[in-house]
Amino acid sequence: MMETAVRTLTQSRRPPRTAFLASIVAHGRRAGIPALATAAVAVAPALLAAQEEGVIPGVALTLLYENRYVPPIAILPIATTGDSPEVGERVGAILARDLDYSDRFVIVDSLPAVFSDEGVEYGFWDQYGVDWLLTGRVERVAGSRFLSVELHDIVTADLRARTRVPLPAPDHPDFRMAVHRVSDQVVMWVTGEQGMAASRIVFRMRPFGDPDSKELYMVDSDGANLRRLTWDSDLAISPAWSPDGARIAYTSYKTGVPRIFELDLARNTERSIGPANEGQHHMPAYHPHGGEIVFRLMSRSVDGLFSYNIRDDCCLRQLVSGLSENVQPSYSRDGRSIVFVSLRFGSHTPQVLIMPSEGGRPQTLSPYRYGQGGFFTDPDWSPLADQVAFAGRIQGRGTYARYHIFIADLDEGGSRLTQLTREGNNEDPSWAPDGRHIVFIGERSNGTGVFVVDSVTGRTRVLVANVDAEDTDWSPSLGADGASRSTRGGPQGGIR
Amino acid sequence: MSNPRFVLVALAVSLLVIGCGGGQEQVMEDPAPTGPTPEELAEAQRIEDSIRAYNAEQARLQAEREAEARETARRAAAARNTLMQAVYFDYDESNIRTDTETALRAKMEILRANPGVMLRMEGHADERGTSEYNIALGNERAESVIQFLTGFGISADRFTSVSYGEEQPAMQGSNEDAWALNRRVEFVITAGGDAIVGG
Repeated sequence: MMETAVRTLTQSRRPPRTAFLASIVAHGRRAGIPALATAAVAVAPALLAAQEEGVIPGVALTLLYENRYVPPIAILPIATTGDSPEVGERVGAILARDLDYSDRFVIVDSLPAVFSDEGVEYGFWDQYGVDWLLTGRVERVAGSRFLSVELHDIVTADLRARTRVPLPAPDHPDFRMAVHRVSDQVVMWVTGEQGMAASRIVFRMRPFGDPDSKELYMVDSDGANLRRLTWDSDLAISPAWSPDGARIAYTSYKTGVPRIFELDLARNTERSIGPANEGQHHMPAYHPHGGEIVFRLMSRSVDGLFSYNIRDDCCLRQLVSGLSENVQPSYSRDGRSIVFVSLRFGSHTPQVLIMPSEGGRPQTLSPYRYGQGGFFTDPDWSPLADQVAFAGRIQGRGTYARYHIFIADLDEGGSRLTQLTREGNNEDPSWAPDGRHIVFIGERSNGTGVFVVDSVTGRTRVLVANVDAEDTDWSPSLGADGASRSTRGGPQGGIR
Repeated sequence: MSNPRFVLVALAVSLLVIGCGGGQEQVMEDPAPTGPTPEELAEAQRIEDSIRAYNAEQARLQAEREAEARETARRAAAARNTLMQAVYFDYDESNIRTDTETALRAKMEILRANPGVMLRMEGHADERGTSEYNIALGNERAESVIQFLTGFGISADRFTSVSYGEEQPAMQGSNEDAWALNRRVEFVITAGGDAIVGG
């Protein structure tokens, strides 16, 4: 009885996180995709605000409030054995920030001093109001370092899980990534779902002092470790991660004609991929099995989406025919479908379409309504769910159009859009490996930068501030050698 | 050799040698202080004049040749300039404007006179519209220029095209002045550029 009382008390002290998410529900039906009945929970004042904010032709805008309990976690200072306390502090800081950025925890940061090293006093932590307690230690044994962490479930008063991993030296480039992988392990223990701490984001931007070129850059998921990948003094466009996280394909103009190149990050080498015949090659995207790309081939006679086998260097195949431009392809997570942008409805009303990956009749995903235009672009298929993120233009106050990030949920017929951004202009969304966070380019009154938004809570943070970046792509989950983990999925089978 | 003074000295020396003939020793007489005869002077003058005239003619011809070469180079440079001058387009259009047509006709003459010249057409767009659409628009503009030129019988094999979309503006800025300069096709000579002759 006593414990129940405390639990109730602590729950009342826990700051409930309320997510304010705008949802858009399409009225009526479109070819092939049934629209949802407009039964969304409409809150009167919110609806009013939404109508002031903007409209998409043929689409009603409502706000949905989503309440979600976010468990508090305490992270004890990381102890050290045979190593300087500073290493422990650095590990603890990375863990705390990763778990905060995962948006799955409330980080309890003013911790009481714990004097006993004799196990975890569950009763004490229970009364302190945390659900989870993370303890850790860095050991230095004969020149090698190990990081061990334990996750304690305070509610059930037991040790939930523990791990011990080799830790590179603090000045080693893999040091942070090793800690990020432990953060993702903690997320997996608690939620059974894939995290995104051990991942990176690639984008392109103008290097300092070279106004005529755009080069590729890469940054860790927490905004650390920004570095330049290409030194071509030419145009680099639309980088895309391979499914194993070891390679990045992109379009470069360095031979005078735009062609696709593939960077091998571990070997620091590069090769040309794609058919050698004439034509301009743009916007590569990898098939989930990694051996094939889909890209846009443009020549005197054709402008269309083609697939190409990069493993055997063969088998160019046109996927969608016709004179209208079809651009920006992205494979579905199972590789069976391709989402892309088509200009078939007019060059200034780009629409998001889905078709079978071997080609075939496409269906519109974005809420195109005949005669009413609409502007939807930059689609990216979630690695974990049948959701597509894209950028869309909506009419803001007055005559100004605004660009925002939306998610279309294909499980619900694709007709329901969730609007993730509320301010400025936003484009180039790309899903994190957790299928939950999205990186995008945001233009604000104080500058353009790379942002990350949590699609569940709507919480937004700056990843790289004040850079004129474009074409973001979020890597898969990265393993020890920078490549993707071979195994996905958690103890509870949390990966859909 | 044609110096008259030298001729006179040579004459005197040969007279001296003839006078010493016969093996007999003779008292050397000072040769009489004789000047060149009026005939000799006139002859020398005639030779000198003809040489001067010849030299002047050579210089005139040389200057003429140089002027011609300069003119040829100037015309080649002008031709090259004309060939490489960018052409411009209306917003969201790839059809050939009248000023663009005039510019392309001038290029066409040069291409006819220089069958070895090959060009790369680089299509550009202003920043409005999606970057992917602008890649297509830049390509349409480059192809539209190629189509115009091949319509006048110039082989399509001499042209390649590449689109930069909105990636490389000629002028930075989000205003009509910048946009008008950025909606363009640029021309790069990929072969035969060293041997261009003017029209």
